[in-house]
Amino acid sequence: MAGTFRRVADVFGRIPRWVYIVAALVLAIVFPMLEQAGLMQTLWLRLGTRTLVYVLLAVGLNLVLGETGLLHLGYVAFFAVGAYSTAILSSPRLGIHWNFWVIIVIATVLAMLFGFVIGMPTLRLRGDYLAIVTLAFGEITRMTFNNWESVTNGPGGIPGIFPPNLFGWVVDKPAEFFYLLLASVVLVVWLLNNLKKSRVGRAWNALREDEIASHHSGVRPTQVKMLAVVLSSGIAGLAGAIFAYYQQFINPTYFLFMQSTIVVCMVVLGGMGSIPGAIVGAVVLDATPEIIRQAFTQWLPDALGSDFLPGVQTALQTDFDRYRMLIFGLVIVLMVIFRPEGLLPDQLWRREVHDEDPRDQEHTRQHLFDFEEGEKDLEV
Amino acid sequence: MAEVVLDVRSITKTFGGLKAVNDLSFVVREGEIVSLIGPNGSGKTTTFNLITGLYEPDSGDVLLKDESIAGLKPGQIYERGISRTFQMLRLFSNMSILDNVLVGMHGRTRANVIDCMLHTPRMRREEAESVARAKEILGLFPGRFPASRHSQPALSLSYANRRRLEIARALAGEPALLLLDEPVAGMNPAESLEVMRQIRDLRDMGYTILMIEHDMNVIMGASDRVIAMDHGEKIAEGAPQEVANDPAVVEAYLGKRGADTAS
Ligand SMILES: Nc1ncnc2c1ncn2[C@@H]1O[C@H](COP(=O)(O)OP(=O)(O)OP(=O)(O)O)[C@@H](O)[C@H]1O
Ligand SMILES: [Mg+2]
Repeated sequence: MAGTFRRVADVFGRIPRWVYIVAALVLAIVFPMLEQAGLMQTLWLRLGTRTLVYVLLAVGLNLVLGETGLLHLGYVAFFAVGAYSTAILSSPRLGIHWNFWVIIVIATVLAMLFGFVIGMPTLRLRGDYLAIVTLAFGEITRMTFNNWESVTNGPGGIPGIFPPNLFGWVVDKPAEFFYLLLASVVLVVWLLNNLKKSRVGRAWNALREDEIASHHSGVRPTQVKMLAVVLSSGIAGLAGAIFAYYQQFINPTYFLFMQSTIVVCMVVLGGMGSIPGAIVGAVVLDATPEIIRQAFTQWLPDALGSDFLPGVQTALQTDFDRYRMLIFGLVIVLMVIFRPEGLLPDQLWRREVHDEDPRDQEHTRQHLFDFEEGEKDLEV
Repeated sequence: MAEVVLDVRSITKTFGGLKAVNDLSFVVREGEIVSLIGPNGSGKTTTFNLITGLYEPDSGDVLLKDESIAGLKPGQIYERGISRTFQMLRLFSNMSILDNVLVGMHGRTRANVIDCMLHTPRMRREEAESVARAKEILGLFPGRFPASRHSQPALSLSYANRRRLEIARALAGEPALLLLDEPVAGMNPAESLEVMRQIRDLRDMGYTILMIEHDMNVIMGASDRVIAMDHGEKIAEGAPQEVANDPAVVEAYLGKRGADTAS
């Protein structure tokens, strides 16, 4: 059994990485066409578009959580800053209608600034303390948007966000948003992948592995952490801006703590510190619940007769959000038990295809939850 | 006489009521291997931590080539030319062997975030130089880090090779002074001997080394000079043979009665 699994893994391991990248890109480009050709319900395209927003968030958070090893639980705050900047600067709310490019830059830079401001007092903290404080900052941010009625219209939210106009191309269909997001993902992933293969990326990893040793190797912890936090905040801001344009309406309930948790789960599921892992984690976690819902409310009843598990059907139809969380929880628990290093861990992805035996990867499991450093730090 | 690289001037460090290092002074000259010895808890590692900026001395000063470095942060001290290894191994376990050494070059490389994001020609050139130098450093340990292993994670190495990798990472800083905290701890006699030779080779290549060691063979075989500590104070200094036979040192290791029987 394990032998078969290894042989299969071996075969997939021999396929060069660029094949996977090209295949994923082709799939992504073809995906909206299926809807336009009438081969797929719009529902799936909408899901795909939302998934791409999560992909952006997951690769962004991966920078902080996976590469640098900081448990940041307020990530959604930066997403909110990007979304609200866009909603305020491009809607009838205050009668402002700025250009798309200007807004994208403002949303990204504001989120980065916000990341810097929050990072200043918090980055000296470690592990659990950092997690709690960032969580609190995330909630404070949401409550601020919730209560700042004069600008954000409070819980009522901001409706009627104008669609973006990119040099005359008005983006207002799901397929168009899908491509806009896809382009953003490609750009962001390319930049992040370059960073990863540079002194900056190595400094992040070194910090995650051993802060004291990295400091004694010339890495300045606070500076390097701040860089990770600021860049990842910018990515969340960008994602928030496009999200606001796509939804045309936002209110504070889009930015609940739960969203931060979901993105953390995506990074952990994919494999901490792995960019392709974060992408896979986002796709799997965002798509799985929807597929399960469709399976039980559509496909299975269609195939087996409409009286197939009627209780489950109604439950999934009326209370889906709750069951979505249940499915998330289940996926994460299973993963932590059976594959703690994540679906596509970094070492597996970065393996040199020919000069290494995939079996050597066995002992390279990352210590996923090794945020605890206190004890070890005393012994030098 | 050779130029003084490190000048430690009566440093003191107290933890609560405990004087871990007490009024300690010594110098290390260019091109020598100095060993710091002493019983467990005598303050050797604390001395290293004071030199490398992990702790700030309560009083006293540390000079690197006539410049005071006391009170600087570890990263700054590293950039000025002091690298170290740790008594308890501290490698970047999940990073590749090559990357471990490359991290050691962080402070000397200059590519900024934008360069790194875009992989500009400037960044690529610097990166290529760093990689070449890192491979050269790994090559100082013949047969231990073959090119085929460079991309494997550090934790796939044997224990002795991990200790060697830590030395390699320290060398990546092109240090004026190399601090080794018990470099052969936990090694078998054959491995200790090999590492001892390598440490001597490093000295012959021009590195200046201050090491903490317990292994008598290594101390006798490698050091040009030995400094013995007990209870945070220097109790003897001199040639290896002299210090080993110094009554105060024997007493520190064996206790008063032990020393009497020994003589
Ligand atoms: N951070 C610290 N806080 C409190 N006490 C400390 C700290 N670091 C060291 N000490 C104490 O200072 C004394 C000297 O410790 P140090 O680690 O320097 O000894 P050492 O000579 O390196 O011993 P060993 O041979 O066991 O490594 C010990 O009593 C130790 O318990
Ligand atoms: Mg010690």
